[in-house]
Amino acid sequence: MIKVNKLYHSYSNDENYAVNNVSFEVKEGEIFGFLGPSGAGKSTTQNILTGLLQLQKGDVEVAGYDVKQIKNKMFNKIGMSFEQSNVYSKMSGLENLEFYRKLFDVETRNPMDLIKMVGLDGKENIKAGKYSKGMKHRLTFARSMINNPEIWFLDEPTTGLDPSIASEIKDIIKEENKKGVTIFLTTHNMYIADELCDRVAFIVDGKIRLIDSPKELKLKYGEKLVDVEYLRNGELIKESFSTVVEEEKSKLIQVIKENDLRTMHTKEATLEEIFIKVTGRGLV
Amino acid sequence: MKLWYSFIKELNLSSKSWYFYIELGMAVILLATLLFVVPDDFDSKSEEYLYLDLPQVVEDRYRDNLKDEDLDETAELVEIEADKRIFKAEFYETEESEIYLLENMDALNAFSESERVPTVHVHVNDSNQIIHTYYLQGYETQKLKNLLLVFHNRKAGYDVIEDYSDNIKVKSLYQDIETLSDKENIIPVFLTFNGSLMSLFIIAAYIFLDKNEGIIKAYAVTASSVWHYLLSKIGVIIVTSIATTLIITVPILGLQPNYPAMILFIITSGFFAASLGLFITSFYKDIVQAFGVLYIVIVIMIMPNISYFTPSWDPDWVKIIPSYVMLQSFKEIISVNGNIIYVLVASLGFAVLGLDIFVLANHRFKKTLTL
Repeated sequence: MIKVNKLYHSYSNDENYAVNNVSFEVKEGEIFGFLGPSGAGKSTTQNILTGLLQLQKGDVEVAGYDVKQIKNKMFNKIGMSFEQSNVYSKMSGLENLEFYRKLFDVETRNPMDLIKMVGLDGKENIKAGKYSKGMKHRLTFARSMINNPEIWFLDEPTTGLDPSIASEIKDIIKEENKKGVTIFLTTHNMYIADELCDRVAFIVDGKIRLIDSPKELKLKYGEKLVDVEYLRNGELIKESFSTVVEEEKSKLIQVIKENDLRTMHTKEATLEEIFIKVTGRGLV
Repeated sequence: MKLWYSFIKELNLSSKSWYFYIELGMAVILLATLLFVVPDDFDSKSEEYLYLDLPQVVEDRYRDNLKDEDLDETAELVEIEADKRIFKAEFYETEESEIYLLENMDALNAFSESERVPTVHVHVNDSNQIIHTYYLQGYETQKLKNLLLVFHNRKAGYDVIEDYSDNIKVKSLYQDIETLSDKENIIPVFLTFNGSLMSLFIIAAYIFLDKNEGIIKAYAVTASSVWHYLLSKIGVIIVTSIATTLIITVPILGLQPNYPAMILFIITSGFFAASLGLFITSFYKDIVQAFGVLYIVIVIMIMPNISYFTPSWDPDWVKIIPSYVMLQSFKEIISVNGNIIYVLVASLGFAVLGLDIFVLANHRFKKTLTL
């Protein structure tokens, strides 16, 4: 659904590239996470894919359209949820969606259904300018679904939302993905990426350092250990056992059999730890 | 249809914004100014204070001449105040002047020194020649001094140019065009600045508001074109301009203007001005950054006003400033039997120029959507 080949972009029109030789593909029905710290080139790449920035160098294909010669029809197939809410503040939530649905040539969703989906029902007739930051964000998110997009670009979709709303938004993303929507997720939140993405790309200083599935990355970079806490003769003991060394595996089984087990965790690396290990950089 | 939806949405949004009501409110204020403050024709009569210090025979002759010139051929006895004192005077009103004949030199000094008005001491010298001594304020031009001299010489019966001036024939080149009154003559200035040119600044304000809210980006990722967005904004600006123009013209001029030509001209000149505004805004992120350029444009656009009110100053470079053409076109539109060909040519020019700038602005906006 998305093919990017040797993409470069410079804001100063010189060789100081904000995006430097970036190549990747996103398959149909996939949730692809684009992860990196601020200024890494995530937004620049996403803006090029959505036509907000003009393509300077490289080949980009989105939903079968060449982004070099962007056509309005392409936007019937894509949806874009911005990190910064950008709705008409003098129009109500419902009026915002009613207006945007008229700008597409394809069958659109019922605005009230979307309003309900993001939990804004009952507030649909209030001017968006009077919405809280989180409500505006949800309205922006809802608007990005109005045209039933085949490819859905999500820029920090849960930033600034309280945990329960963020959880609902994640459920909506999963639900849409189940229907076959391809999702390009830009975020610096590794937990969301870990939970939602089929594959992730780490981008730093305009260059992609790694592309893989979170599961594979954890296997590759995580330590193969189990941390155990158990009581022996009234004393709490903490021990770590390897899950690959036979002798330690036997010990672990023995500990489980003979003692009162309190906690037991496999010691997986988080995506954030892997990111730091791979790129040598934090995510802020 | 998308253009139409965008236009309706913009109309709806602008009706909820301050700028819309500022424009309409300003039109009402200008209308009220024209109706209640600006007279139909400015009273250009100068006030003159004379003391005739002459032999009785000459003084009587001077008075007789003044009476002949007076509108009702009679002198009116009045009391006038200067330096907190009341003086008696004879008052004559001619077509050009309001003349007060003072009783003595004391009164003349009071008006000259306290009221700072031109006064004339008319007396005879040893050779029995009539002398006019002018007490001016020092800033008068030589032209005015000459005019005063000629005027008073005429009163004294020594006019040598009267016959000459009476024989001058003034022939208007456009004999079928009725001259506008002073009040009507101001209207093109109001229409140019509150109508056409204000489009440039109002559209900049609208665009920067949208940039601030990130609206343009959201619009750019729909299946509608950026030019729909830009043109719908221009459409709203033109509708507002038509409304403000009609608010000013209809109550004052009634059916006198050529309204179809007026509407056409507002559309084309408004399109040009708004496109120019769009082009300028495409380079900047907010109105603070754009203010320098907008300020320069304001100053340049004001220049033709000088030429409009001072026809003797009409250099060629002023004529290429768009507001010059706008002023002249509106003048032709509101004049009885005005030169509509000029208006049509100007409209065509603004339409072509506006289209070129609009294409450039659209190109710029597409390139700078993330700005």
